[in-house]
Amino acid sequence: MTSKSSFWGSCKENHKRRIWVWIVAVLSQLLVYGGMTMIYLSRIKGFYAQGTYINQKEFKQAMYQAARDALAFSDNIYPVVLVLAAIIGMQGFSYLFDRRKVDLYHSVPVSKNKRFAVVYVNGLFMYLVANLSGLILGMVLAAAQGAVNGEVLAEAGLAFIWNLCFFLVFYHLMILAVMLTGNRFVTAALFLLFALYELMISSMAESLKGMFFKTYSPYYLKDKPILSVGYDYVMNIWEIKNMPDAAAAARMAMPLAAKWIGIAVVLLFLCRYAYGKRPSETAGKAIAYRFLEPVIKVAAAIPVAFLVGRMVYDASYQNEMLLVAGMLAGGLLFCAAVEVIYDFDIRSIFKHLISGGVALVGILAIFCCYKWDLFGYDDYVPAQNKVESIAISADGYYDNYWDEDQHYIEKNEFEMEHMFLTDTSPVLALAEAAKQAGDPEEMEDDRYVQILYRLQSGRQKARCIRVDYDDPETEKLLNQIFCMDAYKKGVFQGLTDERLLEGVSKIYYTNGPAKATIPVEEAGRLLDAWAKDMEQFDFSLVRHNRPCGSFAFEYKSFSQRRFLVYDSFENTISALKDLGAYYPMQLDAADIESVTVTCYHNELSQNPEAQFNGDPGYALYKEAVAGAADTWDAEYTDYTVSETFYKEEEIAQILPHLYCNWIDAPWSRYRDLDENYSVEVVFKRDSSYPYERDSYYFDYSIYAGKVPEFVVEATAFSGE
Amino acid sequence: MIEIHNLTKRFEDIRAVDEVSVTIKEKTVFGLIGTNGAGKSTVLRMIAGVIKPDEGTVAVDNMPVYDNVEAKKRLFFIADEPYFFANANAGTMERYYSGIYEAFDRVEFYKYLEKFNLDKNRKIGTFSKGMKKQLALLLGICSHTKYILCDETFDGLDPVMRQGIKSIFAKEMEERGLTPVIASHNLRELEDICDHVGLLHKGGVLLSKDLEDMKCSIQKVQCVFANVEDELKALNGLEILKKEQRGSLSTITVRSTREEVEARFATVDTIFYEVLPLSLEEIFISETEVAGYDIKKLILG
Repeated sequence: MTSKSSFWGSCKENHKRRIWVWIVAVLSQLLVYGGMTMIYLSRIKGFYAQGTYINQKEFKQAMYQAARDALAFSDNIYPVVLVLAAIIGMQGFSYLFDRRKVDLYHSVPVSKNKRFAVVYVNGLFMYLVANLSGLILGMVLAAAQGAVNGEVLAEAGLAFIWNLCFFLVFYHLMILAVMLTGNRFVTAALFLLFALYELMISSMAESLKGMFFKTYSPYYLKDKPILSVGYDYVMNIWEIKNMPDAAAAARMAMPLAAKWIGIAVVLLFLCRYAYGKRPSETAGKAIAYRFLEPVIKVAAAIPVAFLVGRMVYDASYQNEMLLVAGMLAGGLLFCAAVEVIYDFDIRSIFKHLISGGVALVGILAIFCCYKWDLFGYDDYVPAQNKVESIAISADGYYDNYWDEDQHYIEKNEFEMEHMFLTDTSPVLALAEAAKQAGDPEEMEDDRYVQILYRLQSGRQKARCIRVDYDDPETEKLLNQIFCMDAYKKGVFQGLTDERLLEGVSKIYYTNGPAKATIPVEEAGRLLDAWAKDMEQFDFSLVRHNRPCGSFAFEYKSFSQRRFLVYDSFENTISALKDLGAYYPMQLDAADIESVTVTCYHNELSQNPEAQFNGDPGYALYKEAVAGAADTWDAEYTDYTVSETFYKEEEIAQILPHLYCNWIDAPWSRYRDLDENYSVEVVFKRDSSYPYERDSYYFDYSIYAGKVPEFVVEATAFSGE
Repeated sequence: MIEIHNLTKRFEDIRAVDEVSVTIKEKTVFGLIGTNGAGKSTVLRMIAGVIKPDEGTVAVDNMPVYDNVEAKKRLFFIADEPYFFANANAGTMERYYSGIYEAFDRVEFYKYLEKFNLDKNRKIGTFSKGMKKQLALLLGICSHTKYILCDETFDGLDPVMRQGIKSIFAKEMEERGLTPVIASHNLRELEDICDHVGLLHKGGVLLSKDLEDMKCSIQKVQCVFANVEDELKALNGLEILKKEQRGSLSTITVRSTREEVEARFATVDTIFYEVLPLSLEEIFISETEVAGYDIKKLILG
């Protein structure tokens, strides 16, 4: 273990007994870095040979990128680092599992501090040398092929630090597992438990909330692990490796690395403490500390039992009785298995029934808390004086958002960063009303509303309520919310993002078929007009009206930002008209070649239970297909009837009632449009209407109750 | 001096060592005897500072030993199955120990290796059990620690090797005051080597005495008394530990000095009497039978 009197002499002596770990560590790193570098660069060269790259500069950039992928932030390296940390950590201190070795090392005059430090430092040194060797080899290989520049070196340096922090956490975690156990099998199991426990618990909590809480939604806040370094790594590596440069990668990676260092320091302290306290006589036992045996058993049994229960629950098509039975059976079996492992004796299966009972009671208690919402999760609406601000997302509107680095971000992220409703009363009233509301299934238009409460205490809580958009009281409250500036800024990036006008490469307006291009220099004028019109924006506007078109800014980065235009947006429409780009939704029959109306006859297929006498579909089918009644099934029978109209006067009667499906109508009423019909409009080839020539036809819907009688008759189901 | 006071160690529900108090004087060979499971190894491991007592203290030259480097510098512990590094040879182990024990005598070590016919380049893994024990003993001796703790180390050594080690012990004791502490389950193994013996049973100390004292204070007399009155007169006032009668021949073990016994028997009419020397085994049988134990079952098997 330790030999020479000096610390470094002891380290040298210790290395002699860790030769195989040295070989594994160095070889693995050389193979990974060297191999990845060669493979990635060779691939780029192959692409170049095939003519994938336009010029030498592009090829060079691709080579640099390949070197970065191999030597900097890579999603291939962390499994190797993780396994190395586990092997080095376990091997260094595994002498504690062998009484003969313990008798030797603990009887010689070497202090615990020195013994621990020698083994610990040697393990760390082993990783550093192995990792650096691999990196240097990769660098040399890349440099020889001209694929190294400052950026590659900088990112490789950052990744080295990031991987070192990652290594330290798992190295310490494994050492801690060794200190708490007495043999390799249990050590490996405890290491896995440590590494995955928080993830298991947060997944369990999230799953239970999803199963039993009506107001739970992961939209704003998700139960994600806070201390799970593996989760951090996996969730962030892709984004970090795709950062444009080393500085951007550092901004994202280094805070995480700092967090990991914090965790590693705490773990190291625990390791050293446990090493000092570990009784030598526990060599070979399953767990080194007797008091930990029930603790580990109960702590592990709960998520494992839930996992088993959840599998049974899903397999049994969500049978709650079987969920409970599965959890109890899983918990029971797990506790029995743990006892067998603790004693290496199958007869221990029924040992320590009290701790097994505690685990089962714990499992049941957790189930009951969620099943019957014992802590009032669904009833939670904070007092107004405790809320600092709110973000809200009412179902019905979707858009693309970009962050400061021009990276795409999700809507919920944008809302969380930009929506701060300080007038909280309408949201709280909406949440209170949702509590009192009846069965959502009976609502006219049942929609989800996500709410993020930012509390004065600094905590955040999120809930998802269900409201009826057709309820006048709901509409009134949503109107109050929608017309707040803070709400609009949190939903419409166009109202706040000053860089919106930078880099615009194209502007166009569309009503569906028509697409009119607008000069880019008019972007500011158009945006100002739209922003002015948005002052009148509220829920009623978007609920009872559909946009007549939209204009969009396209950027050099191929991203796009879209702005909806309503009939009441006078300033925008006026500007568009000035620019000769405005086309109303209603088309002129003179431009139309044909209109094909398809009726699905949902009324015939929506009642599959009534397959026999009395069902109109059945009657019609029977009449049309005599003798085939035994094969008839309302659900699978095609009732679709299509009719194409060519006459201008017929088309003229249809066109006023059409709405182009290519224009989104957020928050609008679904049933405003008749879902029984779809329409295809074909323009005349020689029409001067600026429709998109790439398309042969355009999809439309008909407003409910506005289908002309002759269309109804022409698309009636006749059984043929 | 190693002072053990009220030493207690439990392994879960088992009380492996129960309030053991023993003093091991310097320059003596201390034998620790007991059956398997009597607690010998546990006591030695606590003396070596490998394991921590639950209760009681172990002091080596007035220093607590657990987690105390200074105290451990005076000890060399040879476990019942000594550990040698994987693929190591005697030279490897020498380099390790010479780095740890400042006074390790390398020249002496290799001299002893040669004397005991142990190849310094041969892998220890290929050594016999006895050879491994010899090597462990030589490493311990050459470490030049004041105390050497041997757990079952002499069991299995052939008589020549035993004699060789005994000679080295004697030399080292004389030259530098080495104090060997030898644990064994076999009394006969220790008879010719120990000065002081402690008998452990079920975790406790049954007795702890100097062998010479024990030999002097217990006598075995074989005699044929002329009549019952003389027998009563001879034995009256003597502490009789054991008495066997075969026909008219009495074999009596008494706690007394040889001189006292001879003087007593000279005053009575005996047809025949003889004071016989006691083996260590017999002394232990007598001593432990008094305490209600059958030592044959405990140690001699």
